[in-house]
Amino acid sequence: MGKTRMTKDRLSGIILLLLAVFVMIETRVLPLGTHSRPGPGYLPLLLSSFLAILGVILIVWGRLASSWRSVKWSEGLHALAILAGSVFTTLTLETLGYRLTMLILMVFLFGVMERLKWWMVFSLSVGLSFGSFWLFDTMLKVILPRGGLGF
Amino acid sequence: MNFFYGFMGCLVGTLVGVLPGVGPLAGISLLLPTTFGLNPTSAIILLSGIYYGAMYGGSTTSILMRIPGEAASVMTCIDGYALAQKGRAGPALAISAIGSYIAGTASVIGLMLLAPPLAKYALRFGPPEYFSLLVLGLLVLGYMTGGPMVKNLTMIVLGLLFGMIGIDHFSGYFRFSYGLVALGDGIGIVPVAVGLFGISEILTTAGQSIRPEVIKPRLKDLLPSKKELRDSMAPIGRGSLLGFLIGIIPGSAHIISTFISYAVERRVSKHPERFGKGAIEGVAGPESANNAASCGALVPMLALGVPTGPIPAVLLAALMVHGINPGPMLIKEQPVIFWGLIASMYVGNFILLLLNLPLVGIFVNFLRVPYKILYPTILMLCVVGVYAVNSSIVDVWIMIVMGILGYVLRKYDFEPAPMVLGVVLAPIVEMSFRQALAMSAGSYMIFVQRPISVVFLVATLVMIILALKPLVKKGKDWRERFTKVEKDEET
Amino acid sequence: MKLRKSIVFLVTVFVGAGFLGLVHNLAVAQEAYPSRPVQVIVPFPPGGVADLVARPLAAAMEKILKQPVVVANRGGAGGAVGMQAAAVSKPDGYTLMVALSSISVIPEVDKIFGRPQTYKMEDFAPIALLTSDPTILVIKKEAPWKNVAEFVEDAKRRPNEIKYASSGVYGTMHVAMEMFAHAAGIKLRHIPTAGGGPALTALLGGHVESLSGGPNVSIPHIKAGTLRVLAGWGGKRLQALPDAPTLKELGYEDVEFYIWSGLFAPRATPPAVIKILREATRQAVSVPEFKSAMEKMETPISYMDADEFKKFWDKDAQRLATAVRQIGKVE
Repeated sequence: MGKTRMTKDRLSGIILLLLAVFVMIETRVLPLGTHSRPGPGYLPLLLSSFLAILGVILIVWGRLASSWRSVKWSEGLHALAILAGSVFTTLTLETLGYRLTMLILMVFLFGVMERLKWWMVFSLSVGLSFGSFWLFDTMLKVILPRGGLGF
Repeated sequence: MNFFYGFMGCLVGTLVGVLPGVGPLAGISLLLPTTFGLNPTSAIILLSGIYYGAMYGGSTTSILMRIPGEAASVMTCIDGYALAQKGRAGPALAISAIGSYIAGTASVIGLMLLAPPLAKYALRFGPPEYFSLLVLGLLVLGYMTGGPMVKNLTMIVLGLLFGMIGIDHFSGYFRFSYGLVALGDGIGIVPVAVGLFGISEILTTAGQSIRPEVIKPRLKDLLPSKKELRDSMAPIGRGSLLGFLIGIIPGSAHIISTFISYAVERRVSKHPERFGKGAIEGVAGPESANNAASCGALVPMLALGVPTGPIPAVLLAALMVHGINPGPMLIKEQPVIFWGLIASMYVGNFILLLLNLPLVGIFVNFLRVPYKILYPTILMLCVVGVYAVNSSIVDVWIMIVMGILGYVLRKYDFEPAPMVLGVVLAPIVEMSFRQALAMSAGSYMIFVQRPISVVFLVATLVMIILALKPLVKKGKDWRERFTKVEKDEET
Repeated sequence: MKLRKSIVFLVTVFVGAGFLGLVHNLAVAQEAYPSRPVQVIVPFPPGGVADLVARPLAAAMEKILKQPVVVANRGGAGGAVGMQAAAVSKPDGYTLMVALSSISVIPEVDKIFGRPQTYKMEDFAPIALLTSDPTILVIKKEAPWKNVAEFVEDAKRRPNEIKYASSGVYGTMHVAMEMFAHAAGIKLRHIPTAGGGPALTALLGGHVESLSGGPNVSIPHIKAGTLRVLAGWGGKRLQALPDAPTLKELGYEDVEFYIWSGLFAPRATPPAVIKILREATRQAVSVPEFKSAMEKMETPISYMDADEFKKFWDKDAQRLATAVRQIGKVE
């Protein structure tokens, strides 16, 4: 028995176990009810117990999986940037309004991330943000947020 | 004239279905006011056209971009997208259209012939039957989808837990909502599906400098090969039957039928390892099941006036606004309308086939656009589509969180599809369980006292025994069996 | 080369659409109310009672206000999600809400659970009452009770045995039934379901024995003979069901329950805007298309203008608050 490896599966197992414990703690406030009248806390507790068991199984048998370092995150930075853009968008969607927010997002993605030619960035960003607004808001009558500046 | 309405409905439905997030419900609600001025038959033709159209359209984005156009297209994302990666997007789309057509037509015939007796039978499904059925369904899922069973079960349980966020209709308590009323209704299926599949796909693929080979399809690659057609026929048949039967049950979600169909196809196939990498059966089956279920869902609505889900509820409402009250009297009192409806459904399916096959050629061109231009567009469409469903910014947040989760899950070899099912089913499973116990005043015997429920429970037991069989046979290797698939993927 | 072409094509399409949108926006100058589309929030999923009233109303008001009036469904938590959204929305008259009587129930329930208030009823300015349906007590045709008296007697004999379905705890169907049960001194077994539709399905399937629900979904079944009505929760008998006595007639004082729908605006909306809306609604309910839509759905229009509506609302809210407090926490 060599030293225990930290494998992918073991890592996920640990995280799941922690999550299960977290859920169990959170369900404390909910009444459990009885077996014949289960309360709102009943099933969540049951499920988080299952989750804990599954987590343990993964930890124990995760021995056979590959090392956790083998997970490649090569596109990670790029993904992070996209995420940052998305988060920004969601934060400002209702304050800056749909069109402006989308415009900024598109310019960021096309211009900064993908480094397209400036005229492409411009036309794509304007076209997509205003065009989709027209499609959804005017044509489909789904009201999209208009921010402080009226956009 | 009605043909025109049908065509419009199908067209609008397809377009609406193609957009991620916005689904048939939105499309129908959208055009509902315009139908007030029409006569009832035209109105319902228009609306059901949207319904089917959206179901068809939903598969398009699933195959091309791995984004479920709507929740029921989640299963198509798996093999459909893999096929697209191999340059077989055209055939995938075509088979999906053909399968949906066959399934839809078969279901309409089924509806025509069997509506009243089937509906009565369907009513006998009460909470105990539901619960047993769903337990069976969930177990089937864990056992039959790709990857090690432990991981799939984990995803299901995780999905079930996520599905419990929100208000508990049985007691009035808010669970896991941390004071945010917007979470009060729980996390919707749309943000979860779009986020877990679509956003995670963008996050994974956008930054890769070595892009996986996306073979650009040529014209002759647009049509399915003879072999693909032959391979799809049986899954289509099975999917149609399965979908129709499940669709009839009041309250069940169509998405269940797609999952079960996928699982069945995988089980029945002689080469199950092809699934997940582009098996046409994995598209043909679920797509047919989906369409058949949509049709089946209309059976209780038309025959008994009972809505089986949100979409039939809106269709029911639309009918009521026109003074038509579906129910046992409809066939007797207003046969013209009833048969008109049936005819319109048949025609609608046909229109969609005609519409979609040429559209395949157009849609496939999407793949030619370089990904770096495509993905911001998709991202934008996801955001607006998810927002549009409930005008809720919280839904967009959920989508983003699910996107991150999906990204991480893929890295750690977890299959996201079962989780989506868990989220959808959690409220139904729990409610059925508690309703059944309330009905029996606390006695667990109710699950075994009712015949239909017993059937499902026995089937569940059989499944469990089958799953454990390898354990009994070879003591040591069973551990490997759980993690075996994962090792295969690495070599 | 083909690649270039398709990109250029896409770009042109989008830019064209984009400029169309820009021009459209510039063309709409900032003028008198209303100068933009008006959004009507319906805090329930599509297809429900509120929806069925809101959509024809929106269509009618669109013609009067000469601006698009769009219904936005924001379902969730029995209406709480949408109602809260409407309560905090900008009070400029471009966000309205069509809500049901549950608007009075949710704050009470919050109090019972000791939660911070989702919203307060004072957050809303009532514009008009639109429809008001009393609920009815429906049973299956095969059920043994011929009238309310027999039902009550049976319930007294076997308490907590007779089951009824509701659309969810503290929902309209639940509160109505409990109001009656309390007045009659009986105990019924409550089976919550996920909504009005599932509740009706449960009754039709024989999984429960009774329910108290809106008339319009039950009337087709009553006419078809699969269901029977024992009584109504209204002050007067229903036009569509003249043989059904009201609970009031039968001696149950103060047991009145209406599923009503009303149009609301956020409290701080300028009075001038509210005046325009009140007038528009008054006209809208007389528009032939609206009337015929409501008729076809067997939902009588019970229009009340803002002041009358406020009185009705307050009285109803008191009744509901008492009923909810009596139910207390469901364990």
